[in-house]
Amino acid sequence: MTVVPAQQTGGGGGSSGLYDVLELVLDRGLVIDAFVRVSLVGIEILKIDVRVVVASVDTYLRFAEACNRLDLEAGPRKSPGLPDLVGEITESGAHGKSKGALSGAAETISDAFKQGRGESEGEGQSRPRARKTTTRTRRKEEQE
Amino acid sequence: MSTYVYGITARSHPALPEGMTGVGEPPLPVRILTAGELAAVVSDSPEGLRPKRRDLLAHQNVLAEAGAGGCVLPMRFGSVADDDAAVTQVLTERAEHYQERLRELDGKVEYNVKATHVEDAVLHQVMAENAELRSLAEANRRSGGGNYDDKIRLGEMVAHAVKNKEAEDAAEVHGALAPAAAAVSVGPESTGWLVNVSFLVDRDTAEHFLAAVEQVRAGHPHLDLRVNGPLPPYSFVEPGPAEPAGSTAGAGTGAQ
Repeated sequence: MTVVPAQQTGGGGGSSGLYDVLELVLDRGLVIDAFVRVSLVGIEILKIDVRVVVASVDTYLRFAEACNRLDLEAGPRKSPGLPDLVGEITESGAHGKSKGALSGAAETISDAFKQGRGESEGEGQSRPRARKTTTRTRRKEEQE
Repeated sequence: MSTYVYGITARSHPALPEGMTGVGEPPLPVRILTAGELAAVVSDSPEGLRPKRRDLLAHQNVLAEAGAGGCVLPMRFGSVADDDAAVTQVLTERAEHYQERLRELDGKVEYNVKATHVEDAVLHQVMAENAELRSLAEANRRSGGGNYDDKIRLGEMVAHAVKNKEAEDAAEVHGALAPAAAAVSVGPESTGWLVNVSFLVDRDTAEHFLAAVEQVRAGHPHLDLRVNGPLPPYSFVEPGPAEPAGSTAGAGTGAQ
């Protein structure tokens, strides 16, 4: 898969650089028919970001997994103002020890179970829980 | 020697980027060609010009420099004329049209806004808004993640909800920013951004536009909003709606 090398920051307000204006430079701007245009064959600018919701089994599984660990990862990275939908949000970095001990333990077990199963299925669906951002997870998948 | 064209501007432009370096390896010096009231920002065209990172940046840098000093009509990357005379001939033949465009775009700059969802945050939001999703996810969690069918069912519902959210958010961003702009040009949708829109903004009132952007940011913490500007008005050089992107993206109009 072609991946245009470009820094992809997860947080807002990042630097711009070429990545964000690429499609403007290549795809907009004045065209004069009396001039020749350099060939753009090989440039897949429309594929530089694949964060589009694609209806596929892979996408569904990924979303299901993301939902499963959603409350576990709800920590300092959360923007303020988001609804707290899960009652017992575990403190970051202390999965098993925070107040929701019961659910924390259940999660840990289920996660271990999932990992065991994931490996045997060879689906690559199960990810180490240490992985923090799903974006990164996906990037990895893209490269595989 | 063929001539690479960066953009067209008024001869009276106060700060033409003459002497800057442009495309090519080593970078070729930028020159100015004039015809009547118009001027073209050009350089020699390197042999075997390709859309390489360095040259794309050079193109953008020359135009950014020229655009900072006055209105410039940016060429799409890779426009090459046979020679200098071919450039000045076009300037002469279409002088009226380009002068009209320069007047129309005078004092205006382009801001490109792209938005994506912050995935965890948007998942939180769709779950918060949908009790069925919530209970399904909870049930899956309780049963150790759920079986394959459970996962597919949950994932499909979530994907659907996220997709709806994308459309909803796109409309909201568009609606919130358009009033602060003189014109709007919607970019190609297929790039995976849920918003990819360019706004033509008065240089003098750009802070109003940027304030509107900040407001959208504050009100939509689940959006990753990226703003690029001020840029030369790439998306507004021709009147009317921009031609659909993709028509030239892979079409390779090489040597004809």
